[in-house]
Amino acid sequence: MRIYNKYIVSLILASGLINISLAFLGQNDLVIYFIINVIAYLVITLLYAYLNPRARRALNTISIVLLAGFLVLVSLKAMRIVTGR
Amino acid sequence: MSNPYRILGLGLCLVGAIFAPVSYFILNSVPLTAVGISAIMIGFTSIALANTRPYISPEACQLILKTGMENTAALLEELGLRNKAIYLPSAMRDGHPQALVPLTDGEDIQWVKTKIPGRLIVRYGANPGDMAISVTTPGSMNIDLLETKPGPTSGEIEAAATYILTGVLDIADSVTVSQVGARLEVEVSGARLYYEDIWYYRCLGSPVASIVAAVSSEALGKPVRISEESYSKGKSRITLEVLP
Repeated sequence: MRIYNKYIVSLILASGLINISLAFLGQNDLVIYFIINVIAYLVITLLYAYLNPRARRALNTISIVLLAGFLVLVSLKAMRIVTGR
Repeated sequence: MSNPYRILGLGLCLVGAIFAPVSYFILNSVPLTAVGISAIMIGFTSIALANTRPYISPEACQLILKTGMENTAALLEELGLRNKAIYLPSAMRDGHPQALVPLTDGEDIQWVKTKIPGRLIVRYGANPGDMAISVTTPGSMNIDLLETKPGPTSGEIEAAATYILTGVLDIADSVTVSQVGARLEVEVSGARLYYEDIWYYRCLGSPVASIVAAVSSEALGKPVRISEESYSKGKSRITLEVLP
């Protein structure tokens, strides 16, 4: 199960680093935190391409849910910019 | 419930679900809310991974592997076979890759034109003495785990071996393969089932070498023999000889 441990540790380190960096930069928008965390999650999950097929299927389901949330938030942001509100 | 990934996942989800609203509504802290959301995301991932763990314990798997190896080793010792096994691709067998342990030592093999039958004692060459014991090895069984048949380049063999050893079986950290003429040089880092100087391993190679040999044989579509295998400083070095 060492590959699972490595994967989870990578996710924890990445999200910790992102949250600390954004807090230091003075970011106060929760949507930005969520979007960057989701991007990091998707990238790390893609890098672990050698996980077994059952794990890949389970992670793909979570990735799809997160990607949907990411797309909704990005669309809302884009609409707000376009309409100027 | 004893699954550590499920415990970690449920813990992270619970902590995140409490921490995120408290941080957002009471503490008015966006960064702490983000930490709570991240904990929920990683928690769900951990729960998902917990459901993909094998149903049998690693100890049970080791027991089954050792039983199979002991039986094959007893057969080899009883027959006094010391020749190195030849790993055959599934195309040369009846759709299932296996290893042949020749009864006599012959360098120049004239392979039979037809497929080698799925029996214990088989004739593999044109000469009357070209007889061998046909055995199923850990490598033979693992070919079914590949989603597609790998291509013949060293990169494709490396990717297939990494997928099985690192991703599916989790018995090594990384694999590198380089092709030098009719030889394949394989280096396996962090191998958990390394080479020991016992009869079974001298004939058929360690389970890691067996898997690499079976994958290489299937990828190249040619018979392959483990000519050398050594283990030092956490690395297994395997030399495979590709037979004509």
